[in-house]
Amino acid sequence: MAVALGIDLGTTNSVAAIATPTGVELILGPRGERVHPSVVAFPASGGVVVGADAKRYRLSETAHVVHSAKRFIGQNMRAPLVQLALTGVRYKVIEGPNQQPIVSIRDRRMTMPEISSHVLLHLKRAAERQLGTQVKDAVVTVPANFTDAQRQATREAGRLAGLDVMRLINEPTAAALAYGFGRDTDEVVAVFDFGGGTFDVSILRIHGELFEVLASEGDFFLGGDDLDRALAESLAAECQRTLEVDPRPHAALMMKLMMGAEAIKIHLSDNDAAEGEIEGLDLPGGRVGVLPFALTRDQFEELIAGYVQRTIDVTRQVLNAAGIQPHQVAEVLCVGGSTRIPIVRRRLAELFGREPNISINPDEVVAQGAAIQAGSLTGTLTAGTGMGAHDAVATAAHSPLTHGARPPPIPPRRPVLMDVNPATLAIHTAGGYIERLLDKNAPIPIERTRIFTTSRDNQTRVEIDCCRGEKRRYAENEPLGTLLLDGLAPRPRGDLKIEVQFRVDADGILHVRASDQTSGQRQEAHLQVFGAPVGKP
Amino acid sequence: MSARIDVLLWAQRVVGRKVSSPYLLLDIPPGSDANVAQDAFHKIARMAHPDLHRNGLTPDELELVTTAYARAAAAYQEIRGRTPTVPPPRPVTVQPNRRETISPTGSPTGPTSDGSPITHAQAMSSKALIYYRKAELCLRRGDLSGAVLQLKMAIASDPRSAFLRSALSEVMAEVGK
Repeated sequence: MAVALGIDLGTTNSVAAIATPTGVELILGPRGERVHPSVVAFPASGGVVVGADAKRYRLSETAHVVHSAKRFIGQNMRAPLVQLALTGVRYKVIEGPNQQPIVSIRDRRMTMPEISSHVLLHLKRAAERQLGTQVKDAVVTVPANFTDAQRQATREAGRLAGLDVMRLINEPTAAALAYGFGRDTDEVVAVFDFGGGTFDVSILRIHGELFEVLASEGDFFLGGDDLDRALAESLAAECQRTLEVDPRPHAALMMKLMMGAEAIKIHLSDNDAAEGEIEGLDLPGGRVGVLPFALTRDQFEELIAGYVQRTIDVTRQVLNAAGIQPHQVAEVLCVGGSTRIPIVRRRLAELFGREPNISINPDEVVAQGAAIQAGSLTGTLTAGTGMGAHDAVATAAHSPLTHGARPPPIPPRRPVLMDVNPATLAIHTAGGYIERLLDKNAPIPIERTRIFTTSRDNQTRVEIDCCRGEKRRYAENEPLGTLLLDGLAPRPRGDLKIEVQFRVDADGILHVRASDQTSGQRQEAHLQVFGAPVGKP
Repeated sequence: MSARIDVLLWAQRVVGRKVSSPYLLLDIPPGSDANVAQDAFHKIARMAHPDLHRNGLTPDELELVTTAYARAAAAYQEIRGRTPTVPPPRPVTVQPNRRETISPTGSPTGPTSDGSPITHAQAMSSKALIYYRKAELCLRRGDLSGAVLQLKMAIASDPRSAFLRSALSEVMAEVGK
C-alpha cells in the first residue's frame, strides 16, 4: 500500500508524519529526535550534512551552513524584504536567473529549492528507514501567505528530492485539520501560527468534514528568529559595555549571541528570570570572553512587545476580513514554537476572551494535519465514501491531540479542505490602474475569466502584466510577470476579444491564460512568475 | 456509481453556461444572501470538491469537475462580496494620455505608450458604460431580460462598440436556453 508522508517544512525546523490505522506517527531522526532542523551544511571536508548534525557546523563554518532557506525560496531577489532578510544570514546569496536568489558556497551555486530538497530528502530517507518501505508521495505544508512563486519553488524542492508532492496545504489549515478531523462539529476556530520565521493567522469554519477557511492573513517576515535577534541586539549592547567589543560586525560572534538569545528566550517561557553567562566568545585579538547576563521576563517582554503587538493587530484584521467577532470563535489553536511565550498567550486570551488551546503540540500539529490530508488523498484513510470507525486515523479516541475521548457519533468522512487565495491577483490596464481578477480570501480552486480588448487601432500585441496586492495602482503592487500575446490580427481598437483567465489551483498556484477569441486562431500564452523555478509551472 | 454521474452532469451544466449569474451557478434564488450561498457552496463541496475525485475520474473528467468547482467558487465569492467584484468606475478621464481611448465618437487615436489591454470601462463611451453597469447588475440579480434591455440601450449610445455587441449576443444566447 502506498505510504504518503505529511511534511511540515519549516523555516527553522521540519517535522514529518504518516497516518496509520492507529493514529498519526512521527518520523524520528537518527537519534530519535521528533523535529529536524531545516539546516544544510556544506563542510570544507566535503559532502552535504542535514539536520541536527548540520547545526554543529554553525560556529566553525558559519559561511557554509545554510539555514532559513524558507525565507528565500521562491522569492524575488530584488524585493526589499528579501534584501533585509539577507542581512540576517552569514552565507552568501547572489542573484540568479529569473531574479531568484542563489546560494553560493565556495564553487557551488545552488537554488533555494535545491537547498530545501536536501531537507526533504533527509526526511524521506528517515521515513523509509523507519517504515521499511519506499516513500514516494507527500503533502507538504507552506505558510498561508506564501506567494505563487514560493509555492512553485516548494513543489520544485519536492521534485528534486524524488517526492511526488500531491498537494501543498497551508500550515494553519493543516493544524485545524489535525484538531478538527473526526470531531463532527460546526464551529469557528482561529489558528494562530507563530513559528520560527513566519506568522500566519487563519479563521476557519469546521462544518462536519468540511474545513472552510474564511480568511487568512500573515506576515512572512515575522517569527521567533526576530525575537532572538531583538534579544541578541540587547546582548550585543551589553557586550559592548562590559567587554568593550562591538560584536555586530563579527559573524561568528553574533551567531553565538543569537544562540544564547534563543536559549534565554526558551528559559523565560517557564521562568521569571534568566541569569548566567555566555562563554567562549572569540573576541578579536585572540581573546576569549565571557558575557554575563541577567534578564527578567518583564524585560524580555518589553524587548519583543512590538512584534507581539503586530501579531495581535494582524489577528484583528483577519477577524474583520472573515466577518467574525472574537467571541464567536469556539477555539483558538496555537501553532509554532513562539506561541509558548507567555505574553503571546496572554494577549490572545485578552483578545478572544478565552484561553487559547494549549493541549495540542504546537511543533507537531502541522505535520499531523499534513499526514491526515496525505492519507485522505491516497485514499488509505477511507473505505468508499465513508470511513469505518476502526479505520479512522484520528477519531477522537485515537486523536493525535489529547482532546477528550468523545467518540464520534458517526464515522468521519474524508476531510475536505477549502482553502483561500492568499492575495488579490490583478492585471495592469491602460492608465496605470489594475483590474482585479481574483480576490484575496476567495475559496480555491477558483477560476475567473474577463474579456479585455485592444486600446488602439491595428494593435498586434498585448502585454498582460500580472500583479498581486490590494493597491489600485499597478506600480504599488508586487509584479508577478508579464504575459505576451503576439501576432494579433490588425483590427480597429475594441474589436478584438482577448480572454484573460486566472485560475488558482488547490495548491494556491496561479495559472494565467490569455487567448485571442476573435481572430479564430486561438493562441494562448502562459505566465512565468518572477522568482519561480525557471522553465516549469 | 451514480455519485460519479451526478457530479459529471453537474459539472457539465456549470461549465456549459456561457453567461450566468452567480445565483444560477449555485442553484439558489436570485438575491439570496451570503449565508444561503455558503450552504449551497458547502453542498457543492461535499459532492464535487476535486480532492474527492482524485481516484475515481479520468484526467479529463477531473479537469471538467475542477473547472466547474472553480467557477462555483468564483460565484460564491462574488455573492459574499467581501470586496467588490466590479470595481467602481475609475476616473479614466483624468488620465490625460488616455482620454482619447474612451472618446464617445470612437475616432481612431494615436498609439498608446504600451500594449496593455483595456477594460470594459475603456471599451465604450462613458454614457454606454452607465447602461453596461446596469446590465451587469441585472445579470447579478439573474434578470436576463433586464440585462438585454440595458445592453441595447448601451449599444444605442455607442453603436461602434464591438465589445457591447458581443456581450449582447452572449446574453441573448443565454436567454435562448
